[in-house]
Amino acid sequence: MSLWQYVTERWDRLSLQAWLHLSGVVQCTILAAIIGVAVGIAVYRSPAGSAVATALSSTVLTIPSFALLGLLIPIVGLGVTPSVIALTLYGLLPIVRNTIVGLAGVDPAVTDAAKGIGMSRTGVLTRVELRMAWPAILTGMRVSAQMLMGIAVIAAYAKGFGLGSEVFSGLTRAGSANSLNQALAGTLGVVILALLLDGVFVLISRLTIPKGVRD
Amino acid sequence: MTAVAEGLPGVSKTSAVERRPSVTSRSERFRLFFQPIAVVVIVAAVVIWALTSDLNANERETLNLPTIMGLLGQHVVITIVVSLLVVAIAVPLGVALTRPALKWLAPVFLAIANVGQAAPALGVIVLFFLWSGIEGLWAVAIPLVFYTLLPVLRNTMVGIQQVDRSLIDAGRGIGMSAGGVLMRVELPLAVPLILAGLRTALVLAVGTATLAFFVNGGGLGELIDTGYKLQLNSVMYVGAVLAIGLALLVDWLGGIAERWLAPKGAE
Amino acid sequence: MTTSPTADVTTSDSSGVSGAEIRLDRVTKRYPNTAAPAVEEFTMTIPAGKVVVFVGPSGCGKTTTMRMINRMVEPTSGTITIGGQDALHIDPDQLRRTIGYAIQQAGLFPHYTVAQNIGVVPGLLKWDKRRIAARVEEMMDLVGLDPGTFANRLPRQLSGGQQQRVGVARALAADPPVLLMDEPFGAVDPITRGNLQDELMRLQSELGKTIVFVTHDFDEAVKLGDKIAVLGDRSTIQQYDTPDAILANPANDTVAGFVGAGASLKQLTLMRVRDVQYSTDEVLTVTEDEHPATVADRLTRAGRTYALVVDVRHRPLRWVHVRELAGRSSLQQAGKPVGDSVSTQSTLQDALEAILTEGGRAVVTGTRGEVVGTIDITTVTDVIAGVREEHGVGEAG
Repeated sequence: MSLWQYVTERWDRLSLQAWLHLSGVVQCTILAAIIGVAVGIAVYRSPAGSAVATALSSTVLTIPSFALLGLLIPIVGLGVTPSVIALTLYGLLPIVRNTIVGLAGVDPAVTDAAKGIGMSRTGVLTRVELRMAWPAILTGMRVSAQMLMGIAVIAAYAKGFGLGSEVFSGLTRAGSANSLNQALAGTLGVVILALLLDGVFVLISRLTIPKGVRD
Repeated sequence: MTAVAEGLPGVSKTSAVERRPSVTSRSERFRLFFQPIAVVVIVAAVVIWALTSDLNANERETLNLPTIMGLLGQHVVITIVVSLLVVAIAVPLGVALTRPALKWLAPVFLAIANVGQAAPALGVIVLFFLWSGIEGLWAVAIPLVFYTLLPVLRNTMVGIQQVDRSLIDAGRGIGMSAGGVLMRVELPLAVPLILAGLRTALVLAVGTATLAFFVNGGGLGELIDTGYKLQLNSVMYVGAVLAIGLALLVDWLGGIAERWLAPKGAE
Repeated sequence: MTTSPTADVTTSDSSGVSGAEIRLDRVTKRYPNTAAPAVEEFTMTIPAGKVVVFVGPSGCGKTTTMRMINRMVEPTSGTITIGGQDALHIDPDQLRRTIGYAIQQAGLFPHYTVAQNIGVVPGLLKWDKRRIAARVEEMMDLVGLDPGTFANRLPRQLSGGQQQRVGVARALAADPPVLLMDEPFGAVDPITRGNLQDELMRLQSELGKTIVFVTHDFDEAVKLGDKIAVLGDRSTIQQYDTPDAILANPANDTVAGFVGAGASLKQLTLMRVRDVQYSTDEVLTVTEDEHPATVADRLTRAGRTYALVVDVRHRPLRWVHVRELAGRSSLQQAGKPVGDSVSTQSTLQDALEAILTEGGRAVVTGTRGEVVGTIDITTVTDVIAGVREEHGVGEAG
């Protein structure tokens, strides 16, 4: 059976898995962005705090995702929970780092001017600094999302969701008729989703980044 | 699988391999100091706990020194083989793709390498296994080389391209041959970026090597898998902690290499 | 491929000429897919041991022309000979090892120490280690960098001016007969640039290399060049002559535009007091122990109103007017101190300045500070007029 036949025959299941994969990654990216930006805001004024936050999230990124899963399963059990925790943790680093770099990179003259015209501390942060750092933050989210696409495949090991299940069942049925097609459909599906999501990020940055800030 | 942001496109606003800003260099220093300590403490604690606690027969079958050392050895071998192959392929390829005669091929190879890394690591390993039927070390090493090639390839190319043109001009102008300029000026000045790429590749390799057991390649992932299937939490913990410890150690060694192997003045 | 200077070399002001003559004959560079050649039919003889400066607007092809001499740019047609040898039939790498090359921002290898940077060409020429080490030290002394302090530093640990010195030392390390310099001082501040220029002139007076120097700064060209080639589009030679000839008589509007305003004043920086006819008998010198009455008597007989009081070593002290002498018993403290004096080494520009501060006439001193004469404003204006006339400028100067 050709890959094409395989995909059309099992379109219902594949499209559901693809949808679960995509929505899982997007939700975890958003969660990581909320936490990551909050962490970034909390530490960016302190050089030591910035260094520690960046170092910790870099270290998390060094941890093999399968090993993290191995740690999480005995603690939180199987299913969606370990996947969400793992994906969110991995999604943090690019966002934390880019938030810190973006906020630290705002020209002091601009924040000075904002204070000078009477903006409050939070006003300066939300209306000036975060807006200026937004391109960097968005880039961080884009990198996280791309990375999570791949990690979500491994997370399917713990009875998780998404296209990873296709790769795993292809592997377990190695030698049977459609095992290669199944693994191929899962893998290529992830690549296609990653490209689509990346395109969405490009679109978002076009729409949300004013020309004056865009580089 | 592990992904390291430096190796991915678009991490920073200007280029993925720009000079690290001061925040990250401070955090680098912090990590170089803190990471080995964390590794030693956590690994020691877990190993001591595992070897001293009361284990049932099933647990004892996997949680013994020879088995653990065997799996650790496989893991290290995979990492080393992948890294050596990556350096042996990516550095000469990167150099070749910056030569005027082959420059036009650079986008082609970068696109291939980009696709290689955009694909999920596990998918690449499983597909190669299903397609080739090879098992064991090479079933992991070959797809992982493809998967981890990009950081070293791209950093080699960027490292050479970012060498100030006036230095190449000066080198040729005082009578160095094209090869002389490459060996004595371009490559030494690209070393810091090549090492950064190698560190990323090392971390990718050691992380993805935990997936080797899926294609009968062994490694520390096997402990986690055994623990999961037999519902032995202690085995899972030991496997996970050892894999994490090894990854942090490899990353630390990469950081040390980045710091000490680059020629002075090249950074 | 060191060559001895050819017969037609003139050695007027440098004792040891080690340079070689460079001849470019109808040299053309045409880049593919461009309508006009970058350099068209360029013919020039660069005399051995002289500094020739290519000056012209950016994009005129002056750098391309220079780079064809060491074949960093391959000429499309034409011939180039260096010291009689056909440069286009030597292996380019071998050729370049015999031609010093200094560029803007020095082009030092950042991962090499100062010593390694300077020693790189001798290394390429396979000198033995000890000879290289000795040469490096010699070169560092030559450009005024203490080897003990600087040999093991990296370029980034040097100031811009120091880096340029190392750049020049590297270019000279293998003792090449020819030195090509592409705006070598373009990236340093004006004061450092002035010092580096002075330094280069001192080096050149010792070494007598053939130097081709590219700049867009006409003042730099005037200061450094034995000859200046003003280049226009496609590297066409607008004028190729000595600086004073170009200043006095620009060949066309392009050159005149480049020379700019105040050409006659620029001329003054080229000439020294010793080169002009300053007066040696106009001044009456007296020592402090002479009696004022005697001095007054001598002044009257000589028909002068001022005397110059000098010390025992004949160095100038004060101007004294004949009226001030009446009724005095001693010359001590009499008269007005000499403010600004000029030496025979001073440029005419400095002399003009001193003349104006001193009110029309300045004392000229010799090498030990002794009075050798005076110079006045008419001497300077006569010189300017003379130069302009010599180069056939129509209007009154």
